[in-house]
Amino acid sequence: MLRRNIRLRREYLYRKSLEGKERLLYEKKRKIKEALEEGKPIPTELRNEEAALRQEIDLEDNYTSIPKTHIDDEYANATVRDPKILLTTSRDPSAPLIQFVKELKFVFPNAERMNRGSQVISEIIESCRAHEFTDVILVHEHRGIPDGLILSHLPFGPTAYFGLLNVVTRHDIKDKKAIGTMPEAYPHLILDNFKTKLGERTANILKHLFPVPKPDTKRIVTFANRSDYISFRHHIYEKPGGPKSVELKEIGPRFELRLYQVKLGTMEQSEAQIEWVIRPYMNTTKKRSFIGNEPEPDDKRNRNKA
Amino acid sequence: MIPSAMVSSTETALESLHHIKSTEPPEWLVPKQELSQAVRAASKLLFSSLKPYCPKSPFDQLLTEGFDVEQIWQQIDLQSQPLLSSLRREVKKFEKHPEEISKLKDGGVGGGEKKKKVLEQIETDNVVNDDEDDDDMDMDEDDDDEEEEDEEGEEEEKERGTEEESENEGEEKGGIEDKFLKIKELQEYLEEDEAREFGLKKKKTKAESKKEEEDTEEEGDDDDEDENEGSEDDDDEAEEEEDELGLFDGNDEEDEDDLENARYEDFFSRKKNKSSKEKAKSRDMLEEDSGSDDEQDVDKRKDGPSKHEKELDKLRSKIEEMEKANLDPKVWTMRGEVTAAQRQKNSALEVDLDFEHNVRPAPVITEEVTASLEDLIKTRISEGLFDDVQKARTSSSKAPREIKELDESKSKKGLAEVYEEEFVQKTDPASALLTFSDELKKEASMLFKKLCLKLDALSHFHFTPKPVVEDMSIQTNVPALAMEEIAPMAVSDAAMLAPEEVFSGKGDIKEEAELTKAERKRRRANKKRKFKAEAAKRMGKKA
Repeated sequence: MLRRNIRLRREYLYRKSLEGKERLLYEKKRKIKEALEEGKPIPTELRNEEAALRQEIDLEDNYTSIPKTHIDDEYANATVRDPKILLTTSRDPSAPLIQFVKELKFVFPNAERMNRGSQVISEIIESCRAHEFTDVILVHEHRGIPDGLILSHLPFGPTAYFGLLNVVTRHDIKDKKAIGTMPEAYPHLILDNFKTKLGERTANILKHLFPVPKPDTKRIVTFANRSDYISFRHHIYEKPGGPKSVELKEIGPRFELRLYQVKLGTMEQSEAQIEWVIRPYMNTTKKRSFIGNEPEPDDKRNRNKA
Repeated sequence: MIPSAMVSSTETALESLHHIKSTEPPEWLVPKQELSQAVRAASKLLFSSLKPYCPKSPFDQLLTEGFDVEQIWQQIDLQSQPLLSSLRREVKKFEKHPEEISKLKDGGVGGGEKKKKVLEQIETDNVVNDDEDDDDMDMDEDDDDEEEEDEEGEEEEKERGTEEESENEGEEKGGIEDKFLKIKELQEYLEEDEAREFGLKKKKTKAESKKEEEDTEEEGDDDDEDENEGSEDDDDEAEEEEDELGLFDGNDEEDEDDLENARYEDFFSRKKNKSSKEKAKSRDMLEEDSGSDDEQDVDKRKDGPSKHEKELDKLRSKIEEMEKANLDPKVWTMRGEVTAAQRQKNSALEVDLDFEHNVRPAPVITEEVTASLEDLIKTRISEGLFDDVQKARTSSSKAPREIKELDESKSKKGLAEVYEEEFVQKTDPASALLTFSDELKKEASMLFKKLCLKLDALSHFHFTPKPVVEDMSIQTNVPALAMEEIAPMAVSDAAMLAPEEVFSGKGDIKEEAELTKAERKRRRANKKRKFKAEAAKRMGKKA
C-alpha cells in the first residue's frame, strides 16, 4: 500500500506538471474543431500540426477530450464506487452535538458515526484510508449549537471548511409524530446557483458525498446558494394529483453553510496548499459573490429596463 | 293671567326690578307668574325711559298685557332699530369733532349721579345671570341688558371710537358674571398686570390715554394668554367702568410725575443693573444672575420685561451655554482615538457605536425565504432536473471474444495446399503459420512489455532491469526440408559439381532463365558437337 500511495502521488505531480502543455494542446484542438465545423479555413499557426492534431481529434472520446486539471482529479474515480463516509465530532461533544451528528448519519447514505474519544486526527485519517473510506466529516460546536463542519475527501482529496448557521435539528421539533421517520433511500440532489469556478468546485465536493440514486426516489437533498450562504434542506415529495402537482414535506435538519476555506490536502496535512480562503477584511468582499451569481437587485435599473 | 293695574309708576317698576334682582337664580328655572309680571313691569319702565331718545317710535309704552314674547320683543326691536342708527350717527359726529364730547360730558356730569345709579343697577343685574331659563324671561332680561348697554355704550363709543366692541361686550357681559367670577376681582388683577407690563406708561390725558390704553390693552390682551375670550371683553368693560369712574373722580395726579421720570433705564434696565452686579459674581453664575437680575429689576421697578427683552434673554442664555460648552473639555466620543483609560468605566456601553461591516450579514430565514426555496425545489421536481452524480462509463475488463468469421468467398488455397499445411503443422509444430489475430496479439504483448518496463523504471526506487537471457535456439518458421539445397529431386549427387569446379568455371554457371537467345543457341550447338563426337568415338571403337 505504501508503494501504491507513492505511485499515485507521483502520477499526480506529473499530471500537474503536464497541465500547462495539455491546455495548449486542448486549445489548438478546439480551434481546429471550430474551424472545421464552421467551414472556415484553419488558422495559419496550426497548419503544420493540423494533420496530426486532426487524427488525435478523431481518436478522442468524451473522457479524453476535456483537459483535466489536477484540482478535480481527486474525483476522477469517485463515481466508480459508492462513497463511504465517516462522521465524527470534536473532542468532548455535548449531547445536542451528538444528536445532530446522529441525524447527519441518516442524511448521508452509507455513513458511519464514530465516537471521538481522544483520537488524534492523523490517526483517524490513516485508519480511514486503510478501510477505504472516501470521505470524513468532522462537526464542531459552541455550547451545544453546531457551528463548524470540516469535510475531507480521502485519498488526499480536498478539504472544505464550512461554518454552520441557523441550525434546526430534528430533535428540536418536539412532536415526533409530525416529523415521522426518515427514509434511507439514495436521494436526488439539487444544487442551485453554483456558478463560479469556486462554486463548481464546491458543488463537486458536496455532490460526491452522495451515491448514484435510483431515478424514482422520493427523497430530495437541496443545497441552494444565496449570496454565498448555502442552505441545506431535506424533503420528501409526493405527487398526489398527477405529475405536475408536487407536495413537499420537510424532514431532516436544516442549516446554512458558509464556506471559508478549501485546502488541497486532507485535514491532517496542515502544510497543504490553500486553494481558496475567505477574506473578510477586504474592502470589496461585500460587493463580490464567490460561489454563485447574485440575483439582480430589484431596483431602478430593472425598472428602467422594463 | 292676572290683569294687573296699569300703574306704571317708576317706583313700582323699580320695585319689580329689585324683586328680580333679589330672586335666586334657581328660581328662574321654574316658571312663576309673579316673576313674569315683575319682568314685564321692568321692561315697560325701561322702554319708557328710552322713549325720549327715539322720536320715531310708534309706541308710547311697551304693551305687555296679553302679548306674546315674540310680540314684546318685536316692539322693543322697533324702538331700538332707529335708536341704534341714530347712535351711530352721533358717534361719527363725535369722531370728527371731539370737542363736542366735553360739552356732552358737562351735561353728563350733572346727570352722572343718575348714570351711576344706572350703572349699579347694571352691575346688580349682571349678578342675576342664567342663560338657560325660559325663553321669555331670559330674552327679556337679555334685551334689558342690551338696552342698558346700548345706553351706556353711547357714552363709551363716543369716547372710544369702536362700535363693535360695545355690542360684543353687551352680549358677553350678560352671560359672564356669576358667583365664581367677580368683576371687581378681575379689575384688580388687571390693574396689577397692567402695572407690571407697561411700567410708567400712565394715562396722559383722559381721552388720549384711554385710547392708548385701549390699544395697548388690546395688545396686552393679545399677549396675555391667561385671559380667556369671554373675560377679555369683560375686562375691557371693567376697564371702561373703572376709567369712567376714574374720569368722574378726576384721577390725574399720579400721571405727570411718573411720565417725566420715565427713562431708558426703566425700559431697558438690565444693562445698568447688570454692570453693578455681575462683576461681583463669577461667569458661571451668569445665567442665574441675569435671571435673578431680571426679576430683581422687575421687582424694583414693578415692571415686567418686554417682549424684546425676553428674546434677548433667551439669546443670551443660548450664547452662554455654547461658550461654556466650547471651553469645557470635549466629550470622549468627540475626541478621536480614545483608549479605555481615557474614558469613564462602561461609558462605551451607553454609546451607540457604528461599525462598517465588510461581510454580508447572515441570512435570516424568514417565511418568504423558505417559501422561495420550496418553490425552487418544486419546479425542479416537476421538471425532473436533478444534479445527481452521473455514473461513469467503466472500461470493460474482459477482452472482446474472438468471433470466428465465416468467409463466404471461395478459398484461394487449393485443397492440396490445405492438406500440405496440415501435414506441416503435424510434423513441425513450431513452423505453423500464425493467424492474423495471433500476430496482433503478439504485437500488443510486445508493446505492453515495453510499457511495463518503462513504468517500472519510473516507479521503483531502485530499478533493476530484467537480465537478458541468451538462448542458442535457432528459431525458424520454415520446415527443415527447406533448409537444404535447392536442387531438383531428379538430379543425383554425383552429377553435381564440386565447389572448386564451380570456381574454375567448369559447369554452366548461368541458368536457363538467365541465358540470352544467342547463348542458348551456342549451348545447344556445343551439346550437339559433344554428342556427335561421342557418337563417332563409339562407332570407332566398335569398328
